Amino acid sequence: MEPIHLFDLASRQARWAAVRQATIAGNVANADTPGYQARDIVPFSAVLQKTALTLARTEPGHLDVGGASGIEANRTSKADNWDITHSGNSVSLDQELLKAGEVSRAYTLNTNIVRSFHKMLLSSVRSGT
Amino acid sequence: MIDPLSAASRLAAGGLEAQATRLRVVSENVANSRSTGSTAGADPYARKTVTFAAALDRELGAAAVRIKQVGIDDAPFAVEHDPGNPAADADGYVKLPNVNMLIELADMREASRTYEANLQMIKQTRSMVSMTIDLLRSQG
Repeated sequence: MEPIHLFDLASRQARWAAVRQATIAGNVANADTPGYQARDIVPFSAVLQKTALTLARTEPGHLDVGGASGIEANRTSKADNWDITHSGNSVSLDQELLKAGEVSRAYTLNTNIVRSFHKMLLSSVRSGT
Repeated sequence: MIDPLSAASRLAAGGLEAQATRLRVVSENVANSRSTGSTAGADPYARKTVTFAAALDRELGAAAVRIKQVGIDDAPFAVEHDPGNPAADADGYVKLPNVNMLIELADMREASRTYEANLQMIKQTRSMVSMTIDLLRSQG
């Protein structure tokens, strides 16, 4: 059944947005840590393109190689940061809050799409009876 | 590894705690900005400083902030000629704390700005969680 694929896509994007939110929260928490470099995750389109194969964890003691989500936070390049303070910290609060706004917008869109798609699915099921 | 949205809240809460500690140290410095020693020639209150460090939290899988150390500022003390003061040395000079009000106020502003940013992250994460929960509600 083809259309159900949208739910999978939506949940993957929600997961991506949540991981990005956690990354931004880590940056904001470390806004005054000397030498800390801001991190960010790859855009969602890049996540979609490479379907990362991760090692299966069959025992709790196994190392979590790809992270639970398969999305990892990397240090941002120097050119992407708005300012770097004398202590070597590259977190700009304005930039992080802007990114958080983007995440929030994407997440709102995502949940609303899921809601309306669910409504569509329900109405098509009901009209069948 | 826990859910990324709970991780975001916990990281931001760690940030709040770190900035609150910083604010506490600033108020300690301001409160003691005229605390001289009590015996002749004794050292006065020395300004305290806070250093943060990023520590990898294994459970969260992200770098949380923690207080590395609360140190002492080793800047020289200012001296004032006040022979009547109990802390005055043989020449009548009193050592005053190395607290600079201007620096403390700037530090305070910076701490409260970062505190607000962390608070904003918590608020936003909470609204994201409630958006998800709302998906279960009022369908049909």
